[in-house]
Amino acid sequence: MKRESFLKQFVTLYLPLVLLLVFILFPFYWIFITSIKPETELYGAITYWPRAITWESYKNLFTTTVNFISAMKNSLIAASLTTVVSLTASTLAAYAFSRYRFKGRRILMAMFLSNNMFPTVLLLIPLYSIMRNLKILYTPWALVLAYTTFTLPFSVWLLNGFMNDLPMTLEEAALVDGCNRRTAFLKIIMPLLGPSLVATGVYIFMTSWNEYTFAVMFTNNASRTIPVALKSLIGQLGVDWGLLTAGGIITIIPVCIMFFFAQKRLVEGLTAGAVKG
Amino acid sequence: MVKKKSIYPYLLVAPAVLIILCVVFIPVVNAIRMSFQNYDLRKPKDIAFIGLANYAALFKDPLFWKSLIKTIQWVVFGVGFQFLFGFILALLLNRSFRGRGVVRAVSLIPWVTPGVLIGLMWRWMYDGNYGVVNDILQKLHITGDNIAFLANPRTAFPAVIVTIVWQGIPFFALMILAALQGIPYELYEAADIDGASPVQKLFRITIPSIRNTIMITLLLRIIWVANSVDVIFNMTEGGPAYATQTLSVYVFNKANILNLGYSSAMAIMLAILLCSVAVPYLIFTFRGEDD
Amino acid sequence: MKKMRLAGLLAAAALGVVSFGALTNAESIEPCTLNYVYWADNTDYSALMQEIIAKFNAENEYGIEVVGEEIPWDGGGYNNTLFNTVMGGADIDVATLKLTATPMFVNNDLLEDLNPYVDAWEDKDDISENLYNIMKQAGGSDAMYLMPWNTQILYVYYRPSIFEAAGVEVPKTYDELLTAIEKCTMDTDGDGKTDVYGWGMRGASGGQEPWGSFIYARGGSWDDLSTPEAIQGMQDFIDIYQKGYCPPTATNDGFQEIIANFKSGLTAMTVHHIGSSKGMVEELGDDVGAFIFPAGEGQWTSMGDTENVMFASCENKDAAFEWLKYLAAYDGEKMWCEGTGNIPVSTTVQQGEYFQNDPFMLVSFEGVDVAGILPIKDETTEWITNWPATVSQALVGDITAEECMQQLNAALNP
Repeated sequence: MKRESFLKQFVTLYLPLVLLLVFILFPFYWIFITSIKPETELYGAITYWPRAITWESYKNLFTTTVNFISAMKNSLIAASLTTVVSLTASTLAAYAFSRYRFKGRRILMAMFLSNNMFPTVLLLIPLYSIMRNLKILYTPWALVLAYTTFTLPFSVWLLNGFMNDLPMTLEEAALVDGCNRRTAFLKIIMPLLGPSLVATGVYIFMTSWNEYTFAVMFTNNASRTIPVALKSLIGQLGVDWGLLTAGGIITIIPVCIMFFFAQKRLVEGLTAGAVKG
Repeated sequence: MVKKKSIYPYLLVAPAVLIILCVVFIPVVNAIRMSFQNYDLRKPKDIAFIGLANYAALFKDPLFWKSLIKTIQWVVFGVGFQFLFGFILALLLNRSFRGRGVVRAVSLIPWVTPGVLIGLMWRWMYDGNYGVVNDILQKLHITGDNIAFLANPRTAFPAVIVTIVWQGIPFFALMILAALQGIPYELYEAADIDGASPVQKLFRITIPSIRNTIMITLLLRIIWVANSVDVIFNMTEGGPAYATQTLSVYVFNKANILNLGYSSAMAIMLAILLCSVAVPYLIFTFRGEDD
Repeated sequence: MKKMRLAGLLAAAALGVVSFGALTNAESIEPCTLNYVYWADNTDYSALMQEIIAKFNAENEYGIEVVGEEIPWDGGGYNNTLFNTVMGGADIDVATLKLTATPMFVNNDLLEDLNPYVDAWEDKDDISENLYNIMKQAGGSDAMYLMPWNTQILYVYYRPSIFEAAGVEVPKTYDELLTAIEKCTMDTDGDGKTDVYGWGMRGASGGQEPWGSFIYARGGSWDDLSTPEAIQGMQDFIDIYQKGYCPPTATNDGFQEIIANFKSGLTAMTVHHIGSSKGMVEELGDDVGAFIFPAGEGQWTSMGDTENVMFASCENKDAAFEWLKYLAAYDGEKMWCEGTGNIPVSTTVQQGEYFQNDPFMLVSFEGVDVAGILPIKDETTEWITNWPATVSQALVGDITAEECMQQLNAALNP
């Protein structure tokens, strides 16, 4: 890597980065500020740092009727299970689409793509019946099944795109060297695919983490997830800004920390694969 | 590439196909059937097959056409800017600098933020009386008076587009960042020797190398954004004066009042609209494979 | 032996007939579990409901156990969530519902007619006949699908300090109200911009309720919204917006905004019910008052309502009615209404000290005679959904008052 002058680096890296980050992070900052402002300071002259800080909302989070700890646990279970199930199924399918040519392939691929073109609001009643008949209502599996269905198509296509972008030379070399397909897949493709798997996994996780409509129908008090818990803070008589924003903050932070560790895999992929290859 | 007949690929796609068929097949077929009926659950006893009457009514519904145009604008500007900013962010995050890990993690925040909170928070920031956006614009001397962003039909739509752009940047940033990792470094070294400028490298190496990822993420995001309801619904409910009513919001509103036949017909029109983007992509992709 | 067995059979049959005859016969209620779905407007109400459920479970003599499931209100999304799950076959026995949401449930034969249960109830007169009739109207037949629970009457909140500064009295007629709205719109610091608006207009969803008062004050009515009187009422509403007597944000102002604007002193008056009085007093102390929307040619104010329903699929209907009446007339009613500040439907509970000492409650009682509900028709939900978009077109000047009212009338009274 060549050393760049500070000015050049500033203009091409730091300046645009800071501008984008301000746009991305300001609403988050505003959520945080709102969570520590007393209710009276919300209306009136705008303050960029509260005149009086209160952590009351955070304390209330753990004493109100909305069980945040349990909701976080439920969200985590549903989102993690979905990520595992959906990522596994979509990696297998994407590998088949990317590396094999078989009858019905194009039709299946088109089917996957069209799956998400239909607004879910029209599917709710039959979906509920299906979950009920499968006897998985109110268990995490109802959500896992629903989220897997609606994340699979995108994941398959994403991974298919990533795989098509991967240089095929390494894999072919391995096949020539006498590896069978499965070994080639596990030893060559998987490590190379690391970053893409992380990215797709994050996509699946986020989608399941943030979903409300299925969550409110397929869960009960015991299996409620975060979006439902947050929404129950918005009644006919207004929004409980303090609880809502504090609840938002404590759900955002752990996911960011998780991603902080996951993102290392984003850059490790290629080097690791190249070394093994 | 394996072309000979083998059972392997079928086994590999089987789990994904089975899950999808088991969950959405019946509901989707049901919705398609509803679009040919006057399926209104407020009058369940009158439900009957009415052929293409819903579609005929659609073509005469000025709100449908208005929503259709809104949908196109929503997708073009929404996805366009998401992609632009996401791409820039991915390039920046791919460079090495101190604290990169933390910056990468926090860049994801808009995506982590629960949808419930996004609509409400932005609505609050745009508030015409206590909104921070007005305050900032005035402090920067860009505007004079308070603007009621979401109450004015002219500003409401751009305002919700800004929100969806904000929400979608991390998706593109993450996907493109992941794809960038697959580009062999030797390509850049070779270009450096040839004395290529950064812009040339971007257009000759970076973009062509991640072409597949760019195309597919754009397509997937177009489908997703065209179908997204909750940001608009939580901010304006499609108002004021239908200024922010996209087709998917229209479908949602009609479905909520249980006119499922009419909204299914609209949903199918929306799907056809999306196919007009997806089919050329598929033809292009499949043709590329044959070469 | 044979004779004894026969006698036993006869006795059992006789018992069966008796318990069949009186539906709410106490002995016929077996211990059972009831799934009850409700929403809570904030976490305090949620805690209160859980308390009421616990008390009922502990004290009822039949061993009925109510299991409460809370679904978020979600700006009315509650109704659709409940509807979709019940249509999908959910195992729900009892639920909280509003009148406006009932047609979709009734038309799909999901609700149980409560008439036989109410008729057999010894304290049925504790709830006024008028309320029962409103419940029946909502179902569109003589059947009664809803058990009254509590109501809210909309009235005008005002800021005495702003009235004083503007030199106006509490309006007694509609004309005085219009004048007060105009006079309370003030530029207090002399910079040429309005700092206080006379009226806190609700232009987003839910706005049809206070709006209805304007239509009636000019002599209009829900039955025909395209009369010259109704159009005049609409014109008054438009004038308030276009002449700047309400904040320019009004087209997108919902509950949240009108209350915030009122509390911060941006508006001098706004319309809401007793549910927000607690918060107002906390914030404003003495500087908040209330009056019923005054009469012009006519007078009308909106009655908000919350009821409970029993689903037709419920297997323990007598037990379910025990819970419904506990919420309507006994401890459940008292605890809920005292905790939430809603108006009880039980006359016994209304007489309680708590309700006779609250000034806002007294204003609410004043409004009972002129309070009404939107006609409950198949079209109503759609009409309510479209109201903000249609009216905001008129407010911003895209269409005239007449065009607007014709559209609204065509949608409500086709």
